[in-house]
Amino acid sequence: MGKYVDRPRYGCALGGALSLLRAIPRAIPIIHSSTGCGYNVYNGINAGAAYLGGGYCGGAALPSSNIIERNVVFGGEDRLAEQVEKTIEIMDGDIYVIVTGCMVEMIGDDIYSVAREFEENDKPVIPVSTPSFQGNSYTGYDMVFSALVKEYVEAEEEKKVCKVNVIGIVPGEDVFYKGNLKEIKRILGLIGIDSNTFVGEGETLDNFKGAGNASLTIVLSDVYGVETAKVFEEIHKIPYLLTGLPIGYLQVENFLYEVGEALNIDNEVIEKALEAEKETYFDYFERITDIYNDIDLQRYGIVVADANYAPSVSRFISDELGWLPQLAMITDFLTEDQKSRLESRFENYDSELKPLVKFDTDASAVKKYIRELWPADQNERYYDALGPGFILGSVIERDFADEFNYPLLSIAFPVTNRVIFNRSYAGINGALTLTEDIFSLLVAGR
Amino acid sequence: MSYQVESSAPAREERLKAGIAFGGTCRELKCSMNKGGCLNAANRSFSQTYGCQFTLSLGILNTIRNAVVIMHGPIGCGFCSTATIGTGKFYKRLRDPQANGTIWLSTNLDESAVIGGGEESLRKTVLFADKEYRPETIIVVSSCVPALIGDDVDGIVQSLQSDVAAKLVPVNCEGFKTKVMATAYDAAYNGIMKKLVNPYGEWRKLTESDKDNIDRDYRISRKVNIFNVGSMSRQDEVELERLLKALGLEVTFLPCYSEPDDFSISLEAALNVSICGTHDDYYLQFLKENFGIPYIIDTIPIGRKNTDRWILKIAEFFHLEDEAKSLIEKENEILNKSLDTFREILKGKKVFIGGGEVRILSTAEVLQDFNMEIVGLKGHHIDKFVEPIFESLENIDDVSINIATQHPFEQANIVRKIKPDVIVIHTGGNNISAKHGLPILPLYGPSYNYMGYTGVFEIGRRLARVVKNYQFNKNIKKYRPLPFKESWYEKNPYTYIKEN
Repeated sequence: MGKYVDRPRYGCALGGALSLLRAIPRAIPIIHSSTGCGYNVYNGINAGAAYLGGGYCGGAALPSSNIIERNVVFGGEDRLAEQVEKTIEIMDGDIYVIVTGCMVEMIGDDIYSVAREFEENDKPVIPVSTPSFQGNSYTGYDMVFSALVKEYVEAEEEKKVCKVNVIGIVPGEDVFYKGNLKEIKRILGLIGIDSNTFVGEGETLDNFKGAGNASLTIVLSDVYGVETAKVFEEIHKIPYLLTGLPIGYLQVENFLYEVGEALNIDNEVIEKALEAEKETYFDYFERITDIYNDIDLQRYGIVVADANYAPSVSRFISDELGWLPQLAMITDFLTEDQKSRLESRFENYDSELKPLVKFDTDASAVKKYIRELWPADQNERYYDALGPGFILGSVIERDFADEFNYPLLSIAFPVTNRVIFNRSYAGINGALTLTEDIFSLLVAGR
Repeated sequence: MSYQVESSAPAREERLKAGIAFGGTCRELKCSMNKGGCLNAANRSFSQTYGCQFTLSLGILNTIRNAVVIMHGPIGCGFCSTATIGTGKFYKRLRDPQANGTIWLSTNLDESAVIGGGEESLRKTVLFADKEYRPETIIVVSSCVPALIGDDVDGIVQSLQSDVAAKLVPVNCEGFKTKVMATAYDAAYNGIMKKLVNPYGEWRKLTESDKDNIDRDYRISRKVNIFNVGSMSRQDEVELERLLKALGLEVTFLPCYSEPDDFSISLEAALNVSICGTHDDYYLQFLKENFGIPYIIDTIPIGRKNTDRWILKIAEFFHLEDEAKSLIEKENEILNKSLDTFREILKGKKVFIGGGEVRILSTAEVLQDFNMEIVGLKGHHIDKFVEPIFESLENIDDVSINIATQHPFEQANIVRKIKPDVIVIHTGGNNISAKHGLPILPLYGPSYNYMGYTGVFEIGRRLARVVKNYQFNKNIKKYRPLPFKESWYEKNPYTYIKEN
């Protein structure tokens, strides 16, 4: 049985499904559910993803069958068929994707047979079952993505040696998804890899259609997109590699060698590419060496984030910023296997430190873990407090930040206190931006 | 308790014969309303998403102070609360500087709960909420899934009550039950009626002198509860309070941003006054029947005529007509002059207004006051509560009106045909509305003043600013297309409305 969640940092499967579709140009979702599901999810994603907006066909524009009690009693398939027909008539798109809410799944509507009625349509109509009692936004991303891999990606026998598919960053849930994909694409380009990131800048539905000829799927995650990668392997015979999300020069170095090994790229090529990157990167880092050491900008770091950001950000603040990582709380639903895989991401820090790693979905848990890792003030004359601290989390950590008087940089969903366009925290340029944002908070009062 | 409350609020399509699909002129709408029936049954063969009972009831429930809200459903129900993490706390603190932000939990019903029932999940969540946060009240809002699996939420809550310190309030608002999203307000009130309305009134001192008694009775005889709405601002409340205080009345605002005890304390009042008929008739009728408190549901105090009328109705109840008339006269005199500069800028501009039925028509009165021309209206739903507001409008019979909850596809078609200069509209569909390339003023806003006399001035001030530069929306129109096929614009905008 699922455990309750104190202030969830994700929507339902339908939410993840709609966020992915929101990121694909000219994709038209057709929601088969009651009236409020689409609107509810839009409100959560829009604000939580730093004002992502409804885009082309989101928000109140989302086509939705809006089933009512009568449909729940007698079935909603006729209503769905009518809705699909009219959606195609009115909405101008290149692909129509039927996604579902809980109640139509519970009454057993067969969306697959309804979709078959539209097989002859010149634009594809693809049904995806996305019941929210089966998972959260991250699950919904995998549900829609793997359906597209099955139904829409064209089969290609011949693989292109240096072409990779990049997945595992969930649009919206990763507030920086577009900037991150852009940076990952740039880094891979440095060693001659042509990467397909599906929903990055300038990418379209054709990036889905033509994904069958890649020779590797890079999953920038230990958790998200893994199901999709498996479908790529099974149907299109493309192997996959789980890399996590590289943040900072050191992680990018590992990332490139890892990818290089999988694709048999010469180490020399990678070394040469890194040489130039290193020069640029540390040239910028050198700028803050003065202020960092002038006024002591080392901090105790507390990271509360999803399975992609928490491990990478913790390692980054430890091994590149020279901070003391105290707590890394990963806020997702995870299986034991996923947990142990993620645990291993916190091993072998260059700093030889290790944060307390916790898997907990509840907003209220952060404070308890702080208590667990740091002795409470027993009214001693001299108390060694956990400070100065710094939180990398979401806006849900704001109350905690206020209480402990720690600065908070919102990096993980929900990020309602910022507007994010193409900013990235991944890779090399992303780490520079992350460093800018962190230290900007520390000098904001000066 | 001596009164009975039904276990959940009835859908408004049944209770009020509310309609959600209509296209025509205001004259035609008024005729259909008089006939009744057909308007109520209409629906669409193509529909777009809009708020359900669940999401909308959170507009009230998430604002209650010293409360924890439990979303009883799968993980996504209540996800919209993310959007008010920051603002919710800010607005609560305008009423109580110590207030917490909204704390909400999801029972996270999964597949096993769908098969085996959600009772255990709910029990654990309630116990956790009570122990962790020690709130005064825990509000359990249940979505479609518990209704479908047949969870007896009222029963579960009842059996848990003795295990917790907080008052448990069950709110049943499964989304599929109604197509009229305003039923949400009744659902929220239904929960409040069941658990938070206890007739003890104010706390009394142990000993009271006769004078204390007389003072209190006098105060109660002048006390008015104003039923606010989540879409209004603290500034609106301050303005309405100013006007009623000028008549010597004492004012309390409910239900948004209230403290749980306020619902009981408010039972000691002379009169309940609704701000917006869309919100409170269900609850005010209940208070009248069970506690004998009379109520006024008339117009909304937006626009000069509506505000005049709203004040007068209240004044009549207290036999303060003369005082009210003199207040109204003075207020109008000062306000009227101050509007001239805005009238100069706005005169003759054609405006399209979309949103809740009561808001759009009252805002139309304001815009007519600025000598603007109303060319199109769009209301979320329609019921009898618009009648008094229609009366405040001039030359409205031939104006086009579309009854559609959101549904921006109909709006896009209409806007292209009627070519307004300005749009005043509800939130949620502005990724579409912006692409009409016109200046947009939000129809409401919890951080701006729209109500009372100062509200008229504020609307004018902002509208006159908004029309001065709308390059942002012009560029968006130019570079980002709307998602509708060209053929759609050639059709009648009401093509997809069907009688059911």
